[in-house]
Amino acid sequence: MRIAVLLSAGRHRVSAHPAPVPVELQAIRLAAELGGEAFGLHAGPAIGPLHDTLGHGLPRLTHLRLAENDDPAPSLADALREGAFDLVLAGRSGQGGEDAGLLPYALARTLGLPIVADAVALAEGPQPGTLRVEQALPRGARRRLVIRLPALVTVHPAAPAPLPFAFAAARRGDVETRPGIAAACAPSEMEERPYRPRPKLIAKAAGGASAAERLKAATESASGGGKLLVEPTPDNAARAILAHLREIGVLA
Amino acid sequence: MSRSRKDPRTERATHRVEGSIRPRFDLAAAPAATGRPRRDRRAEERLALVPGTVRRRLDRTQRVAAVGALPAPTTPAVETPPRLRTIPEPACLVAVVPDAPGGRLTPHDRQLFGAARLLADANGGAVLALVESWSDELAIAGADRVLPIPASGYDPEAKALALLSVLDGLAVRHVLFPESADGGDLARRLAALSGEALFAGAESLSAKAVTRAAQGRRIEQRRAPPRLISLATDAVAPHAGTLHEALPVEFAFPEPTAGAILSAEYIPADPAKVSLAEADFVTSAGNGVTDFEVFRALVAALGATPGASRMVCDAGLMPRAAQVGASGTVLEARCYFALGIAGAPQHLQGVARCEHVVAVNTDLHAAMIERAGLAIVADAQEVMPALLRLIAEEKRG
Repeated sequence: MRIAVLLSAGRHRVSAHPAPVPVELQAIRLAAELGGEAFGLHAGPAIGPLHDTLGHGLPRLTHLRLAENDDPAPSLADALREGAFDLVLAGRSGQGGEDAGLLPYALARTLGLPIVADAVALAEGPQPGTLRVEQALPRGARRRLVIRLPALVTVHPAAPAPLPFAFAAARRGDVETRPGIAAACAPSEMEERPYRPRPKLIAKAAGGASAAERLKAATESASGGGKLLVEPTPDNAARAILAHLREIGVLA
Repeated sequence: MSRSRKDPRTERATHRVEGSIRPRFDLAAAPAATGRPRRDRRAEERLALVPGTVRRRLDRTQRVAAVGALPAPTTPAVETPPRLRTIPEPACLVAVVPDAPGGRLTPHDRQLFGAARLLADANGGAVLALVESWSDELAIAGADRVLPIPASGYDPEAKALALLSVLDGLAVRHVLFPESADGGDLARRLAALSGEALFAGAESLSAKAVTRAAQGRRIEQRRAPPRLISLATDAVAPHAGTLHEALPVEFAFPEPTAGAILSAEYIPADPAKVSLAEADFVTSAGNGVTDFEVFRALVAALGATPGASRMVCDAGLMPRAAQVGASGTVLEARCYFALGIAGAPQHLQGVARCEHVVAVNTDLHAAMIERAGLAIVADAQEVMPALLRLIAEEKRG
């Protein structure tokens, strides 16, 4: 199976130095554990710290050289079409750029591939040419999908941690550099300014309620005026607890 | 000295009891306000005394009406139903695509409707809910029109194609998605299909501008609201105040075609493995629990995720990863079951977002007992085996 892993020029979460994006390193691990040939693919001005990805279990990396501020999508689409990959893995979203997570969807649309989001585990499917994907859902739930290949799959941060860095593997790894397709980015209407954290909503009472109600909601407990049992026998207490848990629906 | 001098004669005269020939003075009675800026601590304490308890207890918040306090003027509580607002001729439509798992709106979905109302009211438009089935929650949430989307199983691509036909067929000015696992996926699919720009993960929204974080939260991007927006959680308040019609709308959807997903199977979370931040039901042990074998057995029997207070984690009885509270994990759970936890403010911060709390504690006046929806004043060490026995009995038949 030929697997392409899309690698983006990320920045470290805290220091903002150029660094590989953690979720893409996790994608490399998923590709390595699935077996088959894995290829890294990066389109951008320089490879920089992405050389480290070779130490995390990626045997070879193709760098499509672009000018600063060029759109990577046409170069990546061209390389993916040419490579005839069975599976394309990408991170959920980049870190340090636009961080919108739109590029995998745009690529899937251009290549006509089906896309599945938020994979945490990959395995061979029941029939040849299929893949079993475990998808992360909120609150720790999972969805197991069987999809037909070729496909594009994005990886969720809840996937297994990246393989540890091996210096010898990073030295041994193969980097091929070739020119990409120059394509200017579409002009953006965005106005940019330094980030300012905004207060999150906390009040339970909505805007329509009176000031007194909003104050009450902010200071009092959520389920105020609950039931109180003072010194019941342990059996009575147990019965009350189970009945209450069933009533609110957490216990079957 | 700026304070006026005390006049003992007039002060004594205010305590005089009228109606007898001999002068009588009731010095214990709280004097009427004299205009002096002094507090009568004894009278305040008498008012704060909670009646009917053996232990002397003062409630200074005055949530329990004390004896002797003046009864509040009784006004008949009139439940006014929310006003119905109709928008017969909308200038445009603001579509909302809530997650609505199992047909019920999540808090995030309600915030989405709040944002849609904001955009619709600014443009004289109406809110169109694109859901799988009609429910009466939608009228309260703020939907003027409801369009049921045909859906069968998990096929986001087919849903995105259906949304694309709505985007082309109706005068939809904005489409709002929740930035959740499924909602965010659907928004990006629609953006790729339609070629429109998606404003992903909006953190503030008004009729004039939306903002989002970019470059690892170093840059804030800002622009006028585009057509496709996905909204982060807790960014906009949910709609409240008026009731809306939620009129069903007719629309001819194109025939769905088979996608690349061959099968989809939902696997519920394993409570023993799930991290505390994502857990749905947490059972927590505090200083009132000494037998941790029984506690672990109870957690497994209830199908809960184990948690602990700081005291227990400091003592090394539970792993640090299990700590609930300000210095541990802040829970998002639906239900929190506290065993032998008094509820320090730092611990209660960790529980603040839990919907239901059940507490077992020996202290009637513990903060956790006040916070709980079901509070039991008993020894957790005795309640735990009783619970285990009861669960085992129920399993047997």
